[in-house]
Amino acid sequence: MTNVIQAANRDVNGPLLELTDVKTHFRTRRGLVRAVDGVSLTLERGKALGIVGESGSGKTILSRSIMGLLPTKGTERHGSIRFEQQEIGNLGRKQMRHIWGKEMAMIFQDPMTSLNPLMKIGKQIAEPLRIHLGMDKATAWATAERLLQDVRIPEGARRLHQYPHELSGGMRQRVMIAIAMACGPTMLFADEPTTALDVTVQAQILDLLNDQRKDRNMSLILVTHDLGVVAGHTDEIAVMYGGKLVEKAPTRALFADMKMPYTEALMQSIPKIDDPSHTRLMAIGGRPPDLVNPPQGCRFAPRCLYTRDKCLTEEPPLVATDNPEHTYACWYPVGSPEYHESKARLSETPVTIGRLD
Amino acid sequence: MRYALQRFTQFLIVFFLVTFGVMVFMRIGLNKPGDPARTMLGGTVSQDLIDTTTRRFHLDSNYLVQYWYWLKGMLTLDFGYSNPNNLNVTTYLKPRVLTTVFLGLYSIFFALLVAVPVAVYQAYKRDRPFDKLSSFATFFFISVPAVVLAPLLKYIFIDWLAWFPRLSSKVYPWDNPMLHIKNFFVPVLVLTIPLAATWIRLLRADMVQTLQSDFITLASAKGVPPSRVLWGHALRNSVFSLVTSVGFQLGGLVGGALIVEAYFNMKGMGSLLVVAILSSDLFTVQSVSAILVACVVLVNLGVDLSYALIDPRIRHARALS
Repeated sequence: MTNVIQAANRDVNGPLLELTDVKTHFRTRRGLVRAVDGVSLTLERGKALGIVGESGSGKTILSRSIMGLLPTKGTERHGSIRFEQQEIGNLGRKQMRHIWGKEMAMIFQDPMTSLNPLMKIGKQIAEPLRIHLGMDKATAWATAERLLQDVRIPEGARRLHQYPHELSGGMRQRVMIAIAMACGPTMLFADEPTTALDVTVQAQILDLLNDQRKDRNMSLILVTHDLGVVAGHTDEIAVMYGGKLVEKAPTRALFADMKMPYTEALMQSIPKIDDPSHTRLMAIGGRPPDLVNPPQGCRFAPRCLYTRDKCLTEEPPLVATDNPEHTYACWYPVGSPEYHESKARLSETPVTIGRLD
Repeated sequence: MRYALQRFTQFLIVFFLVTFGVMVFMRIGLNKPGDPARTMLGGTVSQDLIDTTTRRFHLDSNYLVQYWYWLKGMLTLDFGYSNPNNLNVTTYLKPRVLTTVFLGLYSIFFALLVAVPVAVYQAYKRDRPFDKLSSFATFFFISVPAVVLAPLLKYIFIDWLAWFPRLSSKVYPWDNPMLHIKNFFVPVLVLTIPLAATWIRLLRADMVQTLQSDFITLASAKGVPPSRVLWGHALRNSVFSLVTSVGFQLGGLVGGALIVEAYFNMKGMGSLLVVAILSSDLFTVQSVSAILVACVVLVNLGVDLSYALIDPRIRHARALS
């Protein structure tokens, strides 16, 4: 497939994105909401990172913090965000505007509400091309047509002149991808890109995203609550809980050897194809922590099945396994003697386990 | 196409119903219902004149026939005869209509000119000092009735600052543009201020809502500069209530200007209608209300069409029906 715009040749040394102790806090009447509370990670060029967590874990806020897309009022940003070896964590919207759509682009969750209903598809795709690359109208629209081809929308010439309501949900998400791809960004954020779509379309969209990423040597951050989504489409996975990173590993390593009980619980909440039908899914009891007054110690402890006293008082640091790329924050990780002991105790009193047969 | 036809039929039905109703009720409401010609002519007049008038306007036939003749006259711009003014209605109606139309169009134009940018900027700077201050101001000006605003502004601009002449007689822009502007400035201001205040509040509320939409965030995330996000993406998605309100205002032009016309002694349609009703001036009432109904219905038609112009979804839905 020929792409419209190849990413410009850049300094390919060093990671594309480097976060150090990123914090995003919101001032509210109830107090300071620590939505993202000290996240550090790096992302290499052309790689895909999945950020996984339930609602309120801070995954969406983290991605928007990196892009600088949050409202300035009442938001406190701390820590360092380095993109292309340049600090962008302290840039305002005015400066970020030249990065948005050009270097970094974002795909939103709901394609039904994310396109301007009163503007032709073509104009919406052409807009960033005209702004960032200074194309004239004709060139921009011609480019838009080829972008529609790239995202496998047939009859592009006709589609350009249509309005969003004339397109299906899957089509609209493809248009969103075309818009994001338009200026050849090096970094793409996809925030729950398939949640609002039909199951049959989800896989197509994820495959499309993956192909585009590889074709364009673009890095991807895929934000989702669904481990199933990230499994086949990422190189690395970061699991977030209560605004913190609780486990991070190369995708294969994570699925082979997850350490954090929260990751395990997320895993068990996905239905498995070889389970007998009507098997009850394991749900994680309780609710995500209050980010104004997060629990002392491990934030997951109040909901964890294997909690011990230490978990409730001391916060576990991120430590590496034998594999230095696999880090987790847990005192008694999956596989540890204490974990097995707790698990054995739990199976004697099956009522406390979520699974009821 | 079917939609337009449907709307046009509606327009005709409403127009006929209302104008016919006005005619019937005016005659029923007369002091001497049986003798419209005498009431219309008023005072002591010769039987001869009454007979001529009755014959001329078919006042002795039934309502439907009378209506038919009146309608025929309207089509040839012959609006009938007005005794108190001792004139053909058509002749003296023209300056009245023009005065009201000037008042209405100017005030709507200037109110929009002020309201749109203020509301857009307010929504952009939501909850910042500018927004809060102007929100208070608009609330204040909505609450001030015209009967208070008119003397106040008259005092400030005409008596105290003496910027404008003390209400000269009617001047058309094509005769003396400067004097025309001076003449209309204060009355238009009285009408503009509450209108602008209302529209600012209306548009600000819709803009604030639109600015929270995903597609606005997407537009920003594409790198679209804030001014284009506001004017190119958000405004068009926020104008529906405003368009509706402007339509109402255009339609109700005459009633709204009544106080201003009376206070500034401007001879417009509003004051004309009041006097005409009080003096049983049949053809004047009928003609003025016919103009009003036509205005209201036409403007509504225009509002409907502009919805379709703004929103492709409405356009397509109508094309299908």
